[in-house]
Amino acid sequence: MKLGYTLFCLVALAITLGLERLLRTGLLRDRRFWITIAIVGFFQLLVDGWLTCRPIVTYAEEQFSGVRLGCPASALFSAGGMPLEDAVFGFAMVTQGLMWWVWWGRRVGVGRQA
Amino acid sequence: MARYEYMALLAACVVVTAPLEVGLRVGVYRQWRRLFAALSCTGSVFVGWDLVGARLGHWGYNPAFVTGLRLFDLPLEEYLFFAVVPLCAILTYEAVCKTLPDVSRWVSARLGRGRRAGR
Repeated sequence: MKLGYTLFCLVALAITLGLERLLRTGLLRDRRFWITIAIVGFFQLLVDGWLTCRPIVTYAEEQFSGVRLGCPASALFSAGGMPLEDAVFGFAMVTQGLMWWVWWGRRVGVGRQA
Repeated sequence: MARYEYMALLAACVVVTAPLEVGLRVGVYRQWRRLFAALSCTGSVFVGWDLVGARLGHWGYNPAFVTGLRLFDLPLEEYLFFAVVPLCAILTYEAVCKTLPDVSRWVSARLGRGRRAGR
């Protein structure tokens, strides 16, 4: 099988959107959520960049699109950087984490109004 | 020391976001039961996928940069990753919720002043 990681990320994104239909947190319509995504996305470039440039985490080339974000020129780095798919993966994971946080918060009565 | 590198990166994420709890007092760690529940719900799903992907050889971990402690097919660091990243995101979200009204006021005051000066 090829493009396994690509498929994995698309499924993760679909599950995230499906989870919102179940939990109804209202996050996707909340400006504060999208500001959080922008901040977390910036730090993902640094942390995920480090993981994939060193590389600490390696990807089978045929399992993703082959598009990598690249790395700064440095003797520290010997790989191509973040696969494009990592952005989708990161968004799905962070969004699910925030959805569960808001949902559990409402259950214990400290949820914020969207 | 290189084998502690993945662990050190995770530790750095925790350290960098700690001021949000300690300084800004967002109270995320204080609500540890809610935090544990949210991280468990997210982590269990993603660890499951990660195990499958690692088993299928879609991705792997450079043995030079991990401690070597493993559980099933994944390094210990990878399990921590699925707790640390959502944790940092939750801290960020709560910090945004707490500071956005002040930031908005500051920005609109600035813009307001700019507009008056421009007139």
